[in-house]
Amino acid sequence: MSNKNSNLSILFKGLLLENPVFVLILGTCPTLATSTTVIGAIGMGLAATAVLICSNMVISMLRRFIPDTVRIPCYIVIIAGFVTVVEMFIHAYLPSLYETLGVYLALITVNCIILGRAEMFAGKNTVFKSALDGVGMGLGFTLALLSIATIREVIGAGTFAGIEIPVLVDYKIEFLQKTPGGFLIYGIMIAVVYKLTHGKAPKKTKFGCESCPSFSVCGGVKCDNTVKEAK
Amino acid sequence: MDTFKSLIIILMSSVLVNNYVLNRFLGICPFLGVSKKLNQAVGMGFSVIFVMVVATAVTWPIQHFLLDSYGLGYMQTIVFILVIAALVQFIEMALKKFIPSLHKSLGVYLPLITTNCAVLGVTIENIDESFTFVESIVNSLGCGLGFLLAMVLFSGVRSKIDDSEIPESFKGLPATLIAASFVSMAFLGFAGIVDNLFA
Amino acid sequence: MKKHLKTISSLSIICAVVAILLAATNHITAPIIKEQENEAAFAALTEVFPGGEGFEQIDISEYELPSTITEAYSEKSGGYVFKIETAGYNSGFVIMCGVDANGAVTGATYIASSETLGAEKGYGDTLIGSTKDTIDSVATVSGATKTTGAYKNAAKDAINASVILGGGTVDLRDEAQILNDNLSAALPDGEGKFTSLFITEELDGVSAVYKADNGKGYVFISGENFIATDANGEVISDVDDELKSSISDSAKKIIGSEITEIDISGYENMPKQVAKAYKTTSGNYVFELKAAGFGINGDAYYNPSGEHIIIKVSATAEGKIIMCETLSQKESEGIGDACANPEFYSQFNGKKEANYREIDAISGATLTTNGYKTAVSKVFEAIKILKGDD
Repeated sequence: MSNKNSNLSILFKGLLLENPVFVLILGTCPTLATSTTVIGAIGMGLAATAVLICSNMVISMLRRFIPDTVRIPCYIVIIAGFVTVVEMFIHAYLPSLYETLGVYLALITVNCIILGRAEMFAGKNTVFKSALDGVGMGLGFTLALLSIATIREVIGAGTFAGIEIPVLVDYKIEFLQKTPGGFLIYGIMIAVVYKLTHGKAPKKTKFGCESCPSFSVCGGVKCDNTVKEAK
Repeated sequence: MDTFKSLIIILMSSVLVNNYVLNRFLGICPFLGVSKKLNQAVGMGFSVIFVMVVATAVTWPIQHFLLDSYGLGYMQTIVFILVIAALVQFIEMALKKFIPSLHKSLGVYLPLITTNCAVLGVTIENIDESFTFVESIVNSLGCGLGFLLAMVLFSGVRSKIDDSEIPESFKGLPATLIAASFVSMAFLGFAGIVDNLFA
Repeated sequence: MKKHLKTISSLSIICAVVAILLAATNHITAPIIKEQENEAAFAALTEVFPGGEGFEQIDISEYELPSTITEAYSEKSGGYVFKIETAGYNSGFVIMCGVDANGAVTGATYIASSETLGAEKGYGDTLIGSTKDTIDSVATVSGATKTTGAYKNAAKDAINASVILGGGTVDLRDEAQILNDNLSAALPDGEGKFTSLFITEELDGVSAVYKADNGKGYVFISGENFIATDANGEVISDVDDELKSSISDSAKKIIGSEITEIDISGYENMPKQVAKAYKTTSGNYVFELKAAGFGINGDAYYNPSGEHIIIKVSATAEGKIIMCETLSQKESEGIGDACANPEFYSQFNGKKEANYREIDAISGATLTTNGYKTAVSKVFEAIKILKGDD
């Protein structure tokens, strides 16, 4: 029973309490870049989810085979491989989405969520749990993207998934479609999620290392020391 | 002369108009993470410029003489990220051994750059835009300079945030992001200047 | 050592497996991607060739096509689609035009245009179905002759190109080129450079005279014939004796003709349209006329940039116009500027006072036509005045 519970919690923690975008603050670049349209957000979210599930499972499978010293290069190779596979399939079957996502599709490779989950979770857990973690985190990422994109598209462009909304179309605030709008909405959303979770979620007030993409690589130790050194 | 003009245009556009951080959302993590202190921001900025230019100098020939000629274009992402990772390691070791003084100021930021999406982004973009080798180098230099500029400007803005009273929910990252929104709004003003640069 | 070996081998194995996986995926997706890219590239082609299938780009460097054609695609049923770069009012007017296997236009659209009037929009549809024989009769849009004319010529080039690609031959020379080729054939010494001569003498059966720029001789156009003479008027073309003597006479008249200016300031009643008057040795008159067209109507200047139409007319002392030519004009683009067209002004050739009104007016440019006619009619008045004084 408790096992079942923990599996469920693995699956659901990614949605809100440990939401990778709003709480763990991972994958900020694609979050901001592909959240101008709902379609682009869903596409990016699902593409990253697919990569995340596959890479999590494979890395978990190989966790005893991969030598510790070269685990990061191995993870990167596996992730980049899956990203390319997903990229090729999207190019082949969803060419318009491929156009929309552009270079950000290839950049899933360096999306810190994926490398982060590989390092933090898949490298230490069973294949099944890693897959669940991948699904949860991927959906959390997708949901976060979708919520930002909905706000930005509905208010910023007066459309939802490309369909015009009457009245709103005439009063669109185009600022939200632009870069500053992305930063602004993201900032507000983080604050809202913090309020919703009543501060239960581990809030990050400091970002030296945890929020940097290489956190998973250096584990915070090297980074922390070096930054101090630099002072 | 025209080549020179087009190089200037590429440079200006990548520094100001298509600023990687403030317009293209690339390299946001280090932008938010390491921009708190001016000296860290400058160190990170210069490291990124350095790695971007070197990575472009290496990946451009790989793409054009290796991947393209053997029809292996689909290996681009995987090859580029490995090359960048290896390159960063190599640069760090070389700096440590031969120029310890430079290693002391830049070396600490190098490991953080491997998975900086701006570096992979710029190398892929150079190929997608079919830039020549020289144009690619200039574009990478511009993107790096743009990154440095954004970091330095933003570190100035951030030092003010700490002194202000902010609602509890907005403390920390939300406030930082909203500040980033204002800085990037300022950069919107550069849109269009490149078209009229030589008009 | 063993540990290192394991590290290296495991990393290599992962790399190899991933590479194989990628190659396999690429094998599946590459043909689909390629097909999609083709479809996207050819989407523009089906727009001008509805129902077209299996487009393939043709290497046009192997054919001698009209110079405006920049790209050509063949279609399965034997049709073609061409990309044509031409210039209407401005350069950079790029048109796609489809031609079916029977040489009829299936569709035309522009993909780039910096035309000012916007008349190119929808004009392509009026060209649908035209063939080599019927395309000339498609009307251009009045007021935008340059744009729509360029559009029409582009479609014409496409039709011609389809004939050439189909293995046929087409005379790609335009009228000016054909004329020049005929002149050069008649007088090779002229080195391909000829200038039209303003005729001041009545010539028997001669419609136009060209002088070689290097002074090596003349070419007379009589009906369909191009007859060359040397600089002294001796016929050098191989023609029958009758034509030879008639041309020789004409040549002597032309060469012997000299003109002297008449001071018209002394003639009080001289119409104000007559700017200059000359008399030839044979007793004919030549006038330079200032006609008030659209820019200047009558005495009132209502277009500040208005300029007179300058016309040169030669006439016999009996009042028969020998030749009429527009020297300069600034009439409305695409409307009144047709008065500089030989088709218009050559109508006056051979006209007398009794019948000069019988010419076809320029459509849409009544003021220009009226001003022109009025100016030419003053020739008859001027001749009477000059003769009366003689």
